[in-house]
Amino acid sequence: MKKINLGIFEKRVKKKIKKAKNLKELDEIFKEVFGKNGEIKRISKIIPKLPKSKRKVFGEKFGRVKESLMEEFEKRAKELKEKAEREAEEKEWIDITIPPKKVPIGHYHPITIVRRKIEEIFQSMGFEVVEGPEIEDEWHNFDALNIPPDHPARDVLSLGKTFYLKNGGLMRSHTSSVQIRYMEKNLPPLKIIVPGRVFRLDAIDASHEIDFWQLEGLMVGKDISVANFKAIIEEFVKRFFGKEVKIRLRPSYFPFTEPSFEVDISCIFCKGEGCSICKNSGWVESGGAGMVHPQVFKNCKLDPKEWQGFAFGFGMNRLAMLKYKIPDIRLFNSGDLRFLNQF
Amino acid sequence: MKFSFNWLQSFFNKKLPNPERLAEVLTLHSFEVEGIERLGKDFILDIDVLPNRTDCYSHFGIAREISAILGFKLKEEKWQLKEDKNLKIENFASIKVISGCKRYSVRLIFDVKVGESPDWVKERLESCGIKPINNVVDIANYVMLELGQPLHAFDFEKIEKRKIIVRFAKKGEKILTLDDEEYNLGKEILVIADSKKPIAIAGIKGGKETGISEKTKIILLESANFDPVAIRRGSIKLDLKTDASMRFSHGLDPNLTEIAANRAAYLISKICGGKVAKGILDYYPEKVLPKKIKLEIEKVESLLGIKIPKEKILKILKNLGFKINQKLIVEVPTFRRDVLIQEDLIEEIGRIYGYDRIENKFPVSALVPPKKNPEIFWENFVKDVLVSLGFTEVYNYSFLSKEDIENFGFEEEAIEIENPASAFYQFLRPSLIPGLIKDVQKNQNEFKEIKIFEIGKIFKNKKEKKALAGLITGERFFELKGIIDTLLKRMGISNFYFDFHEPSPEESKISIWQIKKSAEIKIDGEEVGFLGEISRKILEKYKIKDKIVAFDIDFEKLANLATEEHEYEPFSIYPAVVRDISVLVPKDVLVEDVMNVIEETAGKLIRDIDLFDIYEELEEDRKSLAFHIIFQLKDRAILPKEVENAFQKIVENLEKKPDWEVRKK
Repeated sequence: MKKINLGIFEKRVKKKIKKAKNLKELDEIFKEVFGKNGEIKRISKIIPKLPKSKRKVFGEKFGRVKESLMEEFEKRAKELKEKAEREAEEKEWIDITIPPKKVPIGHYHPITIVRRKIEEIFQSMGFEVVEGPEIEDEWHNFDALNIPPDHPARDVLSLGKTFYLKNGGLMRSHTSSVQIRYMEKNLPPLKIIVPGRVFRLDAIDASHEIDFWQLEGLMVGKDISVANFKAIIEEFVKRFFGKEVKIRLRPSYFPFTEPSFEVDISCIFCKGEGCSICKNSGWVESGGAGMVHPQVFKNCKLDPKEWQGFAFGFGMNRLAMLKYKIPDIRLFNSGDLRFLNQF
Repeated sequence: MKFSFNWLQSFFNKKLPNPERLAEVLTLHSFEVEGIERLGKDFILDIDVLPNRTDCYSHFGIAREISAILGFKLKEEKWQLKEDKNLKIENFASIKVISGCKRYSVRLIFDVKVGESPDWVKERLESCGIKPINNVVDIANYVMLELGQPLHAFDFEKIEKRKIIVRFAKKGEKILTLDDEEYNLGKEILVIADSKKPIAIAGIKGGKETGISEKTKIILLESANFDPVAIRRGSIKLDLKTDASMRFSHGLDPNLTEIAANRAAYLISKICGGKVAKGILDYYPEKVLPKKIKLEIEKVESLLGIKIPKEKILKILKNLGFKINQKLIVEVPTFRRDVLIQEDLIEEIGRIYGYDRIENKFPVSALVPPKKNPEIFWENFVKDVLVSLGFTEVYNYSFLSKEDIENFGFEEEAIEIENPASAFYQFLRPSLIPGLIKDVQKNQNEFKEIKIFEIGKIFKNKKEKKALAGLITGERFFELKGIIDTLLKRMGISNFYFDFHEPSPEESKISIWQIKKSAEIKIDGEEVGFLGEISRKILEKYKIKDKIVAFDIDFEKLANLATEEHEYEPFSIYPAVVRDISVLVPKDVLVEDVMNVIEETAGKLIRDIDLFDIYEELEEDRKSLAFHIIFQLKDRAILPKEVENAFQKIVENLEKKPDWEVRKK
């Protein structure tokens, strides 16, 4: 009878396992070793023939070898399987440069996007969002705002700039009318913004519209000041355009505010160095503002000795044009999906 | 308005900052300088003088601003008018003011030699964009640019009976102006007339006949203060704007007329020779005196939000020409017609001190959370739902053309604009639909499928309302119905349904909708909107290639009915049993009727009935409807026997109806 060295057997099989190149080869080796007529079977057959003294030791050793070989097979099988998967994955690929499939989605109008941003900023500072009618009367659009008939500003605004309706009434030429409507019904302290459509008779071109959007703001209290206005409005433009934007106030004239200012913002395109958008001045005009004129308070039955505050009006189309570099105001009302689908 | 840098410099001994720097200073403290242009050795500043500051419609006025901002002293004036004692003005001329004039001052200058102006006069006029004509006219213009008072020179000998009358024109009166244009005057036009006819359009333009020519010997120099409203209205009426009318329209200081008349008479006698008659004819019934305003330092501080030292405040006001006494009563010079109340003074202090020196300070106010505006909330909500369902939001014009109004049959309800921008914008829109259809027209060549909506005001019968409307292209009624269904459910509205529309004969809807393919959207029996296919007539008129289904909803009603309240409903944890049924019914039977029979028979055992197929055979007069019936109970598993019994009952009840047949498999 041939003497069996279990150590050599173990080494030989392990070497074979290592050499197996794929699962199929490994499977064949497995059959040779653990199969019906495999080596293990053959070895186990000789155990009973061994002398009793050796049988126990040999048997135990044989058991360990079987276990070890089984582990080795499993380990190698796992390795080969992973290798096979890796190779398969490497063969499969997609051309990621193929243009994306179009997912049908809707779009908000840029004015809506701008409006929401504005409302979010002001609401976080405690301002209420208010709306008012688009058909107005002369009192709310003019007289109450300290623009009586015969006032030069009244003629400028009413004769050349305001749409009148055939059966009476007019289209509001600014959202300032809502200041009056709100103050007639609410007592200070108050903080409101009014986003809305306004209408001006004009020749429509790249920078003039007859139907566009304004943002009105009003804050009234016991001691609301120019310094307060500057803080609120700078906070607004910073949050709206980005941190580095600054504001400056220039003297201006509006019948319903005193003092009155123009609000300029540092040019967001050239950062104040001068470009075509800011006409090389480094500043872009963005709105009018001022401290509410005492006569306006009186017209709303509020005592100007008791209350003071600021009001402002910004062009929302202009804010959107600056934010998104839109060169032509006519695009907003165009209904052109090539424009709207970009937002 | 154009200003010469060199001219401004001439008011100061001290050298002014360079033009760029000066422009910046003026922009920040007074008026925006819109441009600087080099002109020979001079620079021309284009200054946007504010309309309430007519005192600055002049070089002297701007110089006074510069003096206040920079603290530079203005030069003393050094001219003296010499009059001829032997020529007393009242012996030669007379004036009569009937209306439209606060002050009318006149000087007479004899033996004038009309000719070309000296170069320095011509240069200054040209630099401000005024064409030199002759020395007399040029000096009148020069003084206007210098002091802001428009003047007019008449050829005295051409004035009939040497009498000046200020009055409104009579019907039918005409005038030929200096530039050979003829104007028909009317009752609203203020004129200067002699005893016979108008010789000038007051404050706007002079007449040709009494104009200065080379033969002119005696000049009547008019320095007047006309009613701004009369001049403004006249200027608009005649469509004639001049440097003079622009100044008068905004209102001038009546106390300026005399100074300007004297200054011009002085320059004329110096440049054109001649003798200035003694005295001035002066109509000035109500002398304008300086206003007095009490200044409270605390108010200055409270309104500007900064502490400015009292001395600084006083200095600013003094440099601007205000006088202040110990009790802080401020006397406002009459040329500052814009300063009427304390706040006006505070503006002067603030702007000269510099708004840039006011530090930002957040207001201290009560922590009152802003009120929620439900209409805006629901507007945003609806936009979110529709955009998430693939719609693009548009904003269309609030205006429609007459053609649109006629196409849609809106003649009765539409509001017309008195003064439209053009025929395209002649009416206010009574509906959002026309705008949306025009959007399809514009986009249909670029986009196959269009899904758009708008929320905006519509205007009908004197009233405005917020509306919501949208459309999709293609024959997709049920898709749009599904969208409305989703939208309303998301808004917390459950008690809505779609109803057939029973049109009344006069309804304009007829021309918009294809009535048999349209439905009313009803909530609790009330119509809130409409849904349906757009009529062929409209599609043809707007050359729309595809079909359109649209919806039109009264947004205000919708927002009122919407609710954020929503309650979780526990779902059944027991298995559901689905049985399919196919029913053959006559073609005119409504799906709803079939579903009602199923529901009424076994409603308690059924969770849902789902129509999954409709099949209509062309030649047959019946259609086949196939439903999934989902049986499920909340509190226990449903028994197979219960399902079987219910199903049999359903089949029985369906087949009770004449001509209904359940298909047996």
